[in-house]
Amino acid sequence: MSEKITDDFQKAAAPFSSNCPPPRPASEDAGAGIRLSACQWVIVAVICLAVSFLIPAIWERLENFSPGPDYRIPYKLSNDYWLYERYCRTANFEYETLVIGDSVIWGHYVSRDNTLSHYLNEMSGTRKFANLGLDGIHPAAMEGLLRYYGKKITNKNIILHLNPLWMSTPKLDLQTEKEFNFNHPNLVPQFKPEIACYKASLSTRLSAVVRRFFTFPNWVSHLNITYFQGMDMPTWTLENPYKNPLRAVTFNLQVVDSFEQSKKNIIQPKNNPFSASDTTKDEITDNGYQWVRPEKSLQWSCFMRTIKLLRERDNHVFVLVGPFNEHMLEGTSLESYQRLKNEIEKWLLQNNIACYMPPVLPAKIYQDASHPLSEGYAMIAEQLLENESFNSTIFPADNSRTAGQ
Amino acid sequence: MLFHTWPFLLFFLIVYPVHLILKRTRFGLIWLLAASYFFYGWINPLYVILIFYPTLIDYTVAARMEKSNRPKIWLALSIFNNIGLLCIFKYADFITNNINILLTSLKIPYEIAPPGILLPIGLSFYTLQSMGYAIDVYRGNIERQKSFIRYAVFVSFFPRLLAGPIERAGHLLPQLNKKAKLTIEDFTDGLSLFVVGLFKKVALADYLAQYVDKVYSTPEQFQSPALILATFLFAWQIYFDFSGYTDMARGIARMMGIRLMLNFNNPYLATGLGDFWSRWHISLSTWFKDYVYIPLGGNRKGKFNTYRNMFLTMVISGLWHGAAWTFVIWGVVHAFGRFLTREVERTELYKEKVPKIAKQFFVFSFVCFAWIFFRAENINDAWMIITRIFTSGAANPYIPIFALILILIIWLYQFLYESRLKHILEIKAVRIACVVLMILYLLVFAPSSRHTFIYLQF
Repeated sequence: MSEKITDDFQKAAAPFSSNCPPPRPASEDAGAGIRLSACQWVIVAVICLAVSFLIPAIWERLENFSPGPDYRIPYKLSNDYWLYERYCRTANFEYETLVIGDSVIWGHYVSRDNTLSHYLNEMSGTRKFANLGLDGIHPAAMEGLLRYYGKKITNKNIILHLNPLWMSTPKLDLQTEKEFNFNHPNLVPQFKPEIACYKASLSTRLSAVVRRFFTFPNWVSHLNITYFQGMDMPTWTLENPYKNPLRAVTFNLQVVDSFEQSKKNIIQPKNNPFSASDTTKDEITDNGYQWVRPEKSLQWSCFMRTIKLLRERDNHVFVLVGPFNEHMLEGTSLESYQRLKNEIEKWLLQNNIACYMPPVLPAKIYQDASHPLSEGYAMIAEQLLENESFNSTIFPADNSRTAGQ
Repeated sequence: MLFHTWPFLLFFLIVYPVHLILKRTRFGLIWLLAASYFFYGWINPLYVILIFYPTLIDYTVAARMEKSNRPKIWLALSIFNNIGLLCIFKYADFITNNINILLTSLKIPYEIAPPGILLPIGLSFYTLQSMGYAIDVYRGNIERQKSFIRYAVFVSFFPRLLAGPIERAGHLLPQLNKKAKLTIEDFTDGLSLFVVGLFKKVALADYLAQYVDKVYSTPEQFQSPALILATFLFAWQIYFDFSGYTDMARGIARMMGIRLMLNFNNPYLATGLGDFWSRWHISLSTWFKDYVYIPLGGNRKGKFNTYRNMFLTMVISGLWHGAAWTFVIWGVVHAFGRFLTREVERTELYKEKVPKIAKQFFVFSFVCFAWIFFRAENINDAWMIITRIFTSGAANPYIPIFALILILIIWLYQFLYESRLKHILEIKAVRIACVVLMILYLLVFAPSSRHTFIYLQF
């Protein structure tokens, strides 16, 4: 029976196979004819490895990047860790003291000549302080940033900023079970310690880990962020169908701070800062700051590891805690905050880490819970330069140098 | 776990060395089965039960068939079981929705609640493969597989599990029996296939998908040039997506010493619709030819019956792709296309006088037209796209030049590959340059957005 059926197959199949060339044997069609021997694969691997190592290095030479005074990584390039690494190298070479922190250090509501590092330079009459703040970063990401992209920061004075805001609620402390899309997810610990609100897939996490150890993917991100509006080049060609992608690559980094353009719709006039009577304050207070105790705080544990890391790299670390807009707090919330500050100070002093906690500043110098306006930065700079502990850490050879002198 | 993701790389880096060590021992198949079930269970652990069920049934059916005086009953059980699985998991919603529409049109105030079952990935592929085995045993084309483990590996072999190729027992099972030594050539050929597949999927299909998705999701906002281009690009997207998957699957299998069947053979260079179907999703079209078209009678009972059988086969093939009328219409369009061209293709005039390039252009255009039904969200959208192609004008074209250049390069490569100048592509330096360019392109320009494989939804 089966023989008859087989014969019938041949005849009956004709309409489906007429005019058709017989399919090639499978072995013949290895990758549309692209078959390489072992030796040829070795050649391919060598070429690809060489190119992946050489391109970022050559690129660095071709691309014009000369950060001047008060430079800060432009807001739009915040996720460009390749550039951050490059700036770390430059700053490490040119400056004695690096000011590292989140948007408070970066100067979220002020132009680059109104930041803390600017006033420190101006008031000390030196050019020692570089702004290595990154807008949107938080302690958990900061640890990753410095561990993997700040390796060149060695043997420097570091002013490391701790923004208590990140410990003000379990959500900001990344403690909630519900998914929370926070900034710089690629920089946070991907597996241990586990971050409950970080629900990225295994693929995304592995990808983030791989990026930390290879320069090439970070350079690719740099290319995309800097020249293709954060898109990969092919996607950019779909958004700009008639533009030549090669022309988009200008080899000229956006050194000029784009603050005025990017923030013009966000920035508030200086005469309209946060004040105690604002409804915003009531809203926030009603929501309540549920301060996370340091021993339970993920952000604080990351911050402690960051200090340890920086010290292991022979840096002299000075911690600036705050400022924080205490005018927004009242009752138990204020008490919790004070307790938190005390515990942080205690730990820092126990570990011989110089620190400064600015006293309560006038409400008018704040834009929100933690961001001062330019006047606030000037006041903090002044206070720092008058602080003995600061001077002995940052100006160990010249303790007499203080603000205005 | 998709081939172009980090978890798969991790999975393969563990599975492959152990496979190399165990391949020639009695534990080799057990390891492959464990790896395959883990691979499938990664998506949803319950899927392991789902794949185990038809495996067990068809293995038992084949064993019973051998001893039974009425093997047909056992074959019917296998077919009923496999089609039943498809009906429950794939067509339940489609069937109930259509019954509801019918009841409404008959003004019968009754509604059946759609069960809302999600189609398990790969089900359509491994049920066909398992059913094919039972039919082959029944026909006496192959001997039944005595080892359950080997049979289970045949059904679940992870490189081809999610989207084929739909292997034949006669082709794959003997390879699982063999304990042949793996050669360097197996590895390098497999790697070549994998890299080409990865390039097709990540660099091309995922890139084109962005344009196609944009246009097809809101066709009313685009005019004729964009709609034509999106259809044209979808033709390439689905080809790169599916053939890319197949290349990767074949590459992985080849690295493990197993040769899976060829599934695509430059289909857009076909010179006739019959030719197209012998180049496109070969494992499926030959499956339907062998297990549907021929049992229906093939071309043995006159022209009418031949066309009827072709029509039914194409409609069933369309329905296999998805539980929606758009897929049925896609099958019908291809069936009518085949009717119209079959006789023409046999004439001397067509064979001798019509230039090959014109035939290729015609086939490609026809296939593109049919893809509109395949890609559109529903029949209304498909109709709107067709109407707008002819009526919406060309005031605001949206033509990504880079995408067209990329497609042109690929097309030229394919033309060259099937021409007398093929030897140029066989020069060592050219091959090395091609692979280096593909890898560097993937490293630098690969779209950051990842799309799943289109055929996983079938």
